[in-house]
Amino acid sequence: MNKENAIEVRNMSKHFKVEYDKANTLKERLIFWKNNNYEIKQVLKDISLNIKKGETVALIGTNGSGKSTLLKLMTKIIYPNEGTIETNGKLTSLLELGAGFHPDFTGRENIYFNASIFGLTHQEIDKRIDEIIEFSELGENIDNPIRTYSSGMYMRLAFSVAINVDADILLIDEILAVGDQHFQDKCFAKLEELKNSDKTIVIVTHSLDVVKKLCDRAIWIYKGEFRLDGDPTYVIDEYLNQVEKDHHDEIITKIKEGKHKIKGIVFIDAPKNFAKIYRTNDEISFHGWSITNGISNKLEIFMDAHHIKNVRFIPRPDVYNAYAEEYAGFLNKDEIGWEFKIPFSDMKDGVHHLLVRLQDQKDHTIEEKEIEFTIE
Amino acid sequence: MTLFKQLYAYRELLKTNIKKDIRGRYKGSFLGILWSFINPLLQVVVYWIVFPYLMGRGAMDGQNYLIYLITGLIPWTFFMTVVAQGTTCIKANEGIIKKVYFPREILPISMVASGLVNFFISCVIILVFLIGSGTGISYHIVLVPVIAIVEATLALGIVFILSAINVYVQDVENIVTFILNMLMYGTPIIYQLSQFGSSGILYTLIKYNPMTIIIDAYRSVFMYHEWINWTGLGIVFLLSLILLIIGYSIFKKLEKGFAEQL
Repeated sequence: MNKENAIEVRNMSKHFKVEYDKANTLKERLIFWKNNNYEIKQVLKDISLNIKKGETVALIGTNGSGKSTLLKLMTKIIYPNEGTIETNGKLTSLLELGAGFHPDFTGRENIYFNASIFGLTHQEIDKRIDEIIEFSELGENIDNPIRTYSSGMYMRLAFSVAINVDADILLIDEILAVGDQHFQDKCFAKLEELKNSDKTIVIVTHSLDVVKKLCDRAIWIYKGEFRLDGDPTYVIDEYLNQVEKDHHDEIITKIKEGKHKIKGIVFIDAPKNFAKIYRTNDEISFHGWSITNGISNKLEIFMDAHHIKNVRFIPRPDVYNAYAEEYAGFLNKDEIGWEFKIPFSDMKDGVHHLLVRLQDQKDHTIEEKEIEFTIE
Repeated sequence: MTLFKQLYAYRELLKTNIKKDIRGRYKGSFLGILWSFINPLLQVVVYWIVFPYLMGRGAMDGQNYLIYLITGLIPWTFFMTVVAQGTTCIKANEGIIKKVYFPREILPISMVASGLVNFFISCVIILVFLIGSGTGISYHIVLVPVIAIVEATLALGIVFILSAINVYVQDVENIVTFILNMLMYGTPIIYQLSQFGSSGILYTLIKYNPMTIIIDAYRSVFMYHEWINWTGLGIVFLLSLILLIIGYSIFKKLEKGFAEQL
């Protein structure tokens, strides 16, 4: 193993045996000793990786892509079927917080239990205990049994222990969801501090912002295979493109099977409903946005039942960001917004109605919105 | 060698685990740790009342039956508790095994160690009864730790094997309960071996039962104030060591599948 590496993975594969009727008892083993009722589920295929000392690396991928399994393999909770996985240095996993907590003991005693699972000695814990208690913000509650804790307090205590263990390699699985915003910020700051202190950190997370801010490198695992490795910004971009594509394909299959539910959203930003507009020499501007998850849907706009043709489509990054995931694969970044203008000279005084309708190719309405306004 | 290095590195875990085993078991109950003495004592009382009726008063050759019972039953309880709880110790800690890496052998080892600590505390009860009944104590009791270590080695070897297999085949814990029950009657704890004719198969089986040799050794030093049968105990120790090595290698082999199997 190369001395500069903290983690080395070589041609590693892992599969799980999924048994449908698992024989747990002797009787079942004897009766069904030739149990063919199982399926081999390949989780990771031929993965090779080097993670250098001091690097902060993110593993990204969709649910079920095998990234958490890879992390578990690194901790030696489970073992590969083929290939090797080697680590160099003391390793702590924050896979599951609060391992070994006993509800009847006090917070302080549980710090000792929990930290000892990570391999700390009594003296080492003594040295850190004040720091841990302070980080957890539990104050006097630390000497109460932890069965009296709220779930937030419990998680805070668990996280404080895990992050103060002072390991060389830190494996983190989706933990930045602990506590309130204030505590999350604190955890994030602590992680940055650890990052700058030569620790090797491997993070599995779905919050891509964290990856961009914290990591030097992102590794993308796609359906159990190594796909891309490099600068987070680029890898995340490629990853999102793939997610979008997969999502799109998935929905197209669904549409073919008739299971897809078409939906959409229509918004009119200006003018506001029941607005009063005073006549000038200029023109009135109308704008809003709409999104849909169908492929051949179109947007129709009517002013007092008169079809408007000169509609311009414009980019709306704010809307795009909000719905990028939910409508992945169907949003055209540059054509979410719509706008058009009508000169005042073409409009009479009085009440007008603006109708914006999203409809499919058979002219069935998916979603519509109507407002009225008065010109004076 | 790596085993001892790992155990040393994780000594704090071993210590807290033992502490948790001893204190946590009775935490929240009114009498607390006293229960670990009361239970065997109540059992002693039951046998003390029932058995003389069944066997007849004369069966004990004038020995103090109460002392005979206590010096056998408390060491037996140590063995039985350790084996019974040790068998399930991996399954019972499913939660942490699936989540954190640590040397798995810590679990059986701490189970046996906490049993050993509990036993040493229970020895106080034996001493109280020895003095109270007029049997008295002699310097021979310095050998108690030696016998206890032999017993613990035997138990650990068994626990390594059973706890690992129990993860895969969960019938083991039920079978173990039954076998332990039988073994108790296969060891002269509530009766005397001399009550049997010295020829039958049953007699030979009981005589060469390692637990018989261990219990006899305890009785020698506690009750009869004499040195033990060194050859017998030596052979038992040797066998226990071999069993321990075999058990440990089985445990190591099966350990890799724990997290997936649980």
